[in-house]
Amino acid sequence: MKGYDVQIENVSRAYGSFKALDDVSIDIKKGEFFSLLGPSGCGKTTLLRIIAGFDSPDTGILLFDGKEILSQPPEKRHVNTVFQSYALFPHLTVYENVAFPLRLKKIDKNLIDSKVREYLHLVQLDSHIHKKPGKLSGGQKQRVAIARALINEPSVLLLDEPLSALDAKLRQNLLVELDHLHDQIGITFIYVTHDQSEALSVSDRIAVMNQGKVLQVGTPYEIYESPATDFVARFIGETNLFEATVVNCDPYEDYFMTTLDIPALNSLVKVTDYDNLEKGQRVSFTVRPEKLKITGERPNKVGKDINLFHGIVEEPIYSGFQSKYYVLLENSTVIKVIQQHANYMDEGPEIDWKDSVFVSWSAEDGYIVEVVDS
Amino acid sequence: MSSLDPSFLIKAPTHPVGVYKVSKNQVFKDHRRFGFSNIVLVLTILFLFTPLIVVITYSFNSSKGMMWTGFSLKWYAALLFDSEELWRAFLNSFIIAISSSAVATVLASLAAVGIKWYSFKGRQFIQTLSFLPMVLPEVIIGISMLIFFTAIKLPLGMFSIFIAHTTFNLPFVFLLVSARLDEFDFTILEAARDLGASERQTLMKVIVPSIMPGVMSGLLMSITMSLEDFVITFFVSGPGSTTLPLYVYSMIRYGVSPVINALSFVLILSIILLAFALRRFLKVIAASS
Amino acid sequence: MMNNRKREIRLGTTYSFPMGIWLFIFFLVPLLIIILYSFMKKGLYGGVEWEFSLAAYRQMFNPNFMRVLVRTIVVSVAATFFTMLLALPCGYAMARSRNQTLLLALIIIPFWTNSLIRIYAWIAILSSEGFLNETLKFFHIISESLPLIYNQGAVVTVLIYMYIPFAILPIFTTIDKFDFQLLEAARDVGANKTRAIISVLLPNIRSGIITSFIFTFIPIFGAYTVPLLVGGKDSYMIGNIIVDQVTKTRNWPLASAFSLILTLLSTLGVMWMMVSSAKERSQSGKKNPSFRQGGNL
Repeated sequence: MKGYDVQIENVSRAYGSFKALDDVSIDIKKGEFFSLLGPSGCGKTTLLRIIAGFDSPDTGILLFDGKEILSQPPEKRHVNTVFQSYALFPHLTVYENVAFPLRLKKIDKNLIDSKVREYLHLVQLDSHIHKKPGKLSGGQKQRVAIARALINEPSVLLLDEPLSALDAKLRQNLLVELDHLHDQIGITFIYVTHDQSEALSVSDRIAVMNQGKVLQVGTPYEIYESPATDFVARFIGETNLFEATVVNCDPYEDYFMTTLDIPALNSLVKVTDYDNLEKGQRVSFTVRPEKLKITGERPNKVGKDINLFHGIVEEPIYSGFQSKYYVLLENSTVIKVIQQHANYMDEGPEIDWKDSVFVSWSAEDGYIVEVVDS
Repeated sequence: MSSLDPSFLIKAPTHPVGVYKVSKNQVFKDHRRFGFSNIVLVLTILFLFTPLIVVITYSFNSSKGMMWTGFSLKWYAALLFDSEELWRAFLNSFIIAISSSAVATVLASLAAVGIKWYSFKGRQFIQTLSFLPMVLPEVIIGISMLIFFTAIKLPLGMFSIFIAHTTFNLPFVFLLVSARLDEFDFTILEAARDLGASERQTLMKVIVPSIMPGVMSGLLMSITMSLEDFVITFFVSGPGSTTLPLYVYSMIRYGVSPVINALSFVLILSIILLAFALRRFLKVIAASS
Repeated sequence: MMNNRKREIRLGTTYSFPMGIWLFIFFLVPLLIIILYSFMKKGLYGGVEWEFSLAAYRQMFNPNFMRVLVRTIVVSVAATFFTMLLALPCGYAMARSRNQTLLLALIIIPFWTNSLIRIYAWIAILSSEGFLNETLKFFHIISESLPLIYNQGAVVTVLIYMYIPFAILPIFTTIDKFDFQLLEAARDVGANKTRAIISVLLPNIRSGIITSFIFTFIPIFGAYTVPLLVGGKDSYMIGNIIVDQVTKTRNWPLASAFSLILTLLSTLGVMWMMVSSAKERSQSGKKNPSFRQGGNL
């Protein structure tokens, strides 16, 4: 693997009384596609700017391959950035924008030319090379920005919400291209985004941030399936999240069968967990909407480990490949259910508005979040 | 500028990982308070204000020369009670400032609306024509007007000064109001018409209120410029139409009295108040001057 | 559609013509008269005789006038050079500052103060019994007054003083609209701070620099009051020649010829400025420059 290991250790940065980063530590491995994910103002951009060298932490250290880097100005770091607004030089053509980094070094003209063409080819911009950025579309600007950032052959590429200014379709395509590009050149990518679906689809690992803190670092499925906090559960994907109290915890096969009291559901819920939780402990319970089953009839056999609720469909949302239902349970709590449409159905989904339905899920599909955000 | 940046001198530390803390001055900082440009700015502001402060200070000096002999308000007393001619000149200046800036504001605001919101032949011509007086040296404007007034046999006096001042005020008001109009959407005119407003109503109820801030800053700016102008007035004034700057000029040329220091302070003070009143528009004013 | 177009023309015309006509009569016609007069014969007591003549243009090549012309160019170039040298970092610092309104006020206050008061202030500082000489004498640094005023140095200093706000304001306005992330982008790909400013900032604020150059150079080139009041016998500039030709020598054709030269120079400057800002606008793809009001207070 090429690229640097990037170690961020105990980095804090405050602007006046506002803590943009609060004791952040992250280890990013060589060649990794690593995402910093969080809502706006969570500190992800500040962290990126510190890595690039545009900002510096109040305390903490930053290491590239084990070497301290904070004393270096941005131009001395082998790190290049794709800016959110692209930051293309408006007075230079596409060609000259990409050639700019090379022109700063004393490199032979022919070499510059062949390299610029090579990188413009890499991002599929062989035409348009003599246009000024003002005449390009958003997606084209984006490609120029990437080519310019890569031409110096950096060890780390920083991407600051690079797709946020593009429309949805284009975003999907460019995301795939970015992933390919990463496979092709193999350097460390650090990708800042507030869009959880972007982060999940391309990252090797993700750090979820909120209010200047790192809440969880893990692979996309770790973060989706086993959120470390309430916030992570809610921020990544859609979920049903309830406050709960542990009533009972019994060993069950390899793990523990836990019974939770959930006031919002006015019922006890069974869920399997690896930890032996104490009775009376306050936790959060989460179950993803796509893991719920929705049926018009009461299921015939209800196993010991199935949780079953009855309700009325308040709002069905059909979106082609799936339907989402907001089901009003008997005690007036609303629960979200997503049903995939795996079969052909030219008369629409069977379940409709105001239908009486049963919602169920297995104990294995729920998840207990032990850390409850204050 | 990079030579002022101390971080270039520091080599990357070779300590083992994690043992040291990065101290503040070791960290690369881009936003330095004492950067080259900030120092130049501070020095320039000092350069701009030192003469004014010297004059203000000596307006409180009890003696005539530049030797400080003690605090006194006697020059202010002289300014208030013993400067009849000065006040007459001020009255002249005031009359001309109010009348010329009022006329200039009305004409230029209308023109700005016409040029920014409608397209017609001669638009470019008027726009260019309105730009030139701002750049042309004052001497040229003054001389050409003097020759013009002489040619049409218009006696030099208050009226000729009024015409000259209106002429040089027009471009500034025009630019300030245009800048204001640039922020507005052409479609609000269509919206107003769509909702049933007549042309006159559109002008009075939509256009006028929306450009009012630009108009007001244009008016205040032209009053200031009219009160301030010396060169052009110098050529087009006649007997009995001495304005304040002309009077100040004669004070400078033929015997300086410290009353001029006191007057300076009063004028500077009123400019400060004006700048405070216009603080919201300073950026637009900066953009148009 | 046609109706609308007609209405537009009528409204545009009604609104704009009063100012157009005013400027035509009181600005353009006087300039045209000057052009006409420059080709006339000098009248005995001022004015002109209605007879075609190139005498005025021949007289311009008088060595005395040529000396003044050369001096005017040297003084204007020097004063403009130093003014711009100070104005660029000032505009940059102001645009990056969080106290923009205060700084703008600090630049605009002296700029709006009566120009004669400002010149007077310099006389009070520089004259032989002025503030500077008296202060130096008080501290026994000098015993005799230094000749600080009525020379070329004083003229250049005061010209810089008078026109520096003219130079700062357009530069500030363009830098304020500049996207500072471009500087970060340049540093990011390997440019040091100086290099980033030279190859990214300066080309992008070109129109502001040109505007500020024009607004400084042209008025300085036509300066009249400053050389008159703080200059010596050999500080006369073209502006002074023109005025003398009108009020003292009464050679109106010659004054007109000189004025014409200055007017042509200014017109060229304005055209250069307009072309460069139009170019910049088409580059950024925006039709009208929008003015962000002093929002970040």
